[in-house]
Parts: sequence; C-alpha cells; structure tokens
Amino acid sequence: MKALLRQSVALLALALLPAAVQALYLRDKIPWQSRVAESDLVSVEVARSWGANALWVDARPVDEFERDHIPGAVSLGQDHWSELLSQFLEKQWSPEKKIVVYCSAESCNLAEDVARRLRDESKLPNEIRILKGGWEAWLAKK
Amino acid sequence: MKQTPNAEPPTPNAELGEPRSSSFPRILWRVVAIIMGGIFIYAGAVKVIDPVEFARDIDNYKMLPWQMGVWLGLYLPWLEIFCGLALIARVLYRGGVFILTALMVFFIVITIIAKARGLDISCGCFGHASKYLSFAWHLVLDFLLLGGLVLLWKSSPPRTNAQLS
Repeated sequence: MKALLRQSVALLALALLPAAVQALYLRDKIPWQSRVAESDLVSVEVARSWGANALWVDARPVDEFERDHIPGAVSLGQDHWSELLSQFLEKQWSPEKKIVVYCSAESCNLAEDVARRLRDESKLPNEIRILKGGWEAWLAKK
Repeated sequence: MKQTPNAEPPTPNAELGEPRSSSFPRILWRVVAIIMGGIFIYAGAVKVIDPVEFARDIDNYKMLPWQMGVWLGLYLPWLEIFCGLALIARVLYRGGVFILTALMVFFIVITIIAKARGLDISCGCFGHASKYLSFAWHLVLDFLLLGGLVLLWKSSPPRTNAQLS
C-alpha cells in the first residue's frame, strides 16, 4: 500500500513540472479569467444598434431555429455545417458586416464553437462576436 | 534454509505488483499494458497540443470554475502521458494503473451526471477525434478502457523481486 501511494504521488508530482512549464510558456495565450474573452461578446442592445450592419447567425440546431429565431438570422448549426455554411457564404455573407453568433442561453457553447469555426476554419475577415445571454437574452429584451 | 528443487515458488509480493494469476501468459499482459499505455499517451498528447480546448471540454461539465478547468486542462494531459509511460516502461507501474483507473471512474461518473443534467458535452478525451462521438460511444469507450485497466490492476507488472532489487 505504501509503495502504491509513493508511486502515485511521484507520478502526480512528475506531471506538475511540464504542466507548469507549459503554463508559463502559454501564459499570454490562455484566457485565464473567463472562457470567452469579454472583447468577443456583445450585448443585445449594442448588437441591435448595428442595424443592417450586423449579420445574425443562429448556432442552435435547425429545429430550434425553425421554431423561432431573431429576425433576419441565418441558421448555421453544426449538424449541417458544410451545407449551411456554403449557403450562408453565397447568399448572406458580406466582408464589411459584423457577425453576431448566438445560441440558446448564456450556458450553451454552440455559439462559441461556430464563432471559432468561422474565424479559424473559414478564415472570415469579419468582426465576429457572440451574443451575451444568447436567444434567452434576446427574448427578455424583445 | 537450503532450497530443494521441489520447494514452493516464492509468494507473489502484492505490494510490488507481482503476478497474482499465472493463467494468462505474461507476454499478453505486456501487450495489454503497452496498448493501454499507448492509448493514454496518445490521449494526453492530443490534449497537450491545445490545453485551452481541453479546458473548454472540462468547463462544459459545469462543475468547476473556469480558472480551475484551465489548470486541470494543463495538468491532466501530462498526468495521462506519465501514467501511460509508467505502464509501458514498468516504472511506477502500479501507481500509473491506480491513477488512470481512478481518473476513468471519476470521468465515467461525471459524464453520466452531466448527461442526466442535460448538458451539451463532448468528452474531449481524444481531442477532435472524439468531439462528435455520441454519449453511448463515450461510455462504451470509457468502459473498455476501464476494463483494460482493471485487468492490468488484477494482473501485475511482470517484474520480479530480483529485477527490482
């Protein structure tokens, strides 16, 4: 039993070293305070004030989008990503517009994933923001 | 005392993880240990490349504050790698099997709890490769890994007292 404990503690301690080195190395790239940087979020009021200069992207599953959505929003759920993305790029996208991505609520992660994919995979040059509070916040401030 | 050719073989030393069962050939235990070790090294390596992505996967479980998830996102992949290496190299072997088994049990429990709470989770166990795995497949994979670890725990590192001394 003692040997087992000793071995376990040794492994737990060994793993600390490279983790600490990596933390130091990546210290400027890691969002230490919150999952999404505050600069990536936008409130309902500010996004509304952008008017026609905003492109609303609904990251929820298609059935939820079809039930109801923000007026003018396009569905870009990850379940039909390639198909919906090409439609979006052909019909709605414009390089000057700001893109506002939303999902169902503050706690959902779909908007974040979609925003990241638009930025990193599709390499869109637009300013891409995530709607703070998502669809629920929009409904509350309707 | 002088040993005779018919003397009983030495009793396995459980603390050192000596064989408890001789029904399964030692070479097969080595193969299982190497495969399991390789799987955990791979699982750790894909997460080491992007610790923030793994921190997001941890955060999806909504059980810990974000900051703690970030630290775990940095630490757990290295722990998996070292434990995987321990399985392959047979150094700190029992400790490695013990930690990995504890991690697997903990992970299975929190996955089931998260699912019961209706959370949208991706296990992130193997980076992007496991991103879109269904819940059922998560569990199948987890239980297979847990089964492998339990087998290794019940068997042994094929090492003798003489080799260790």
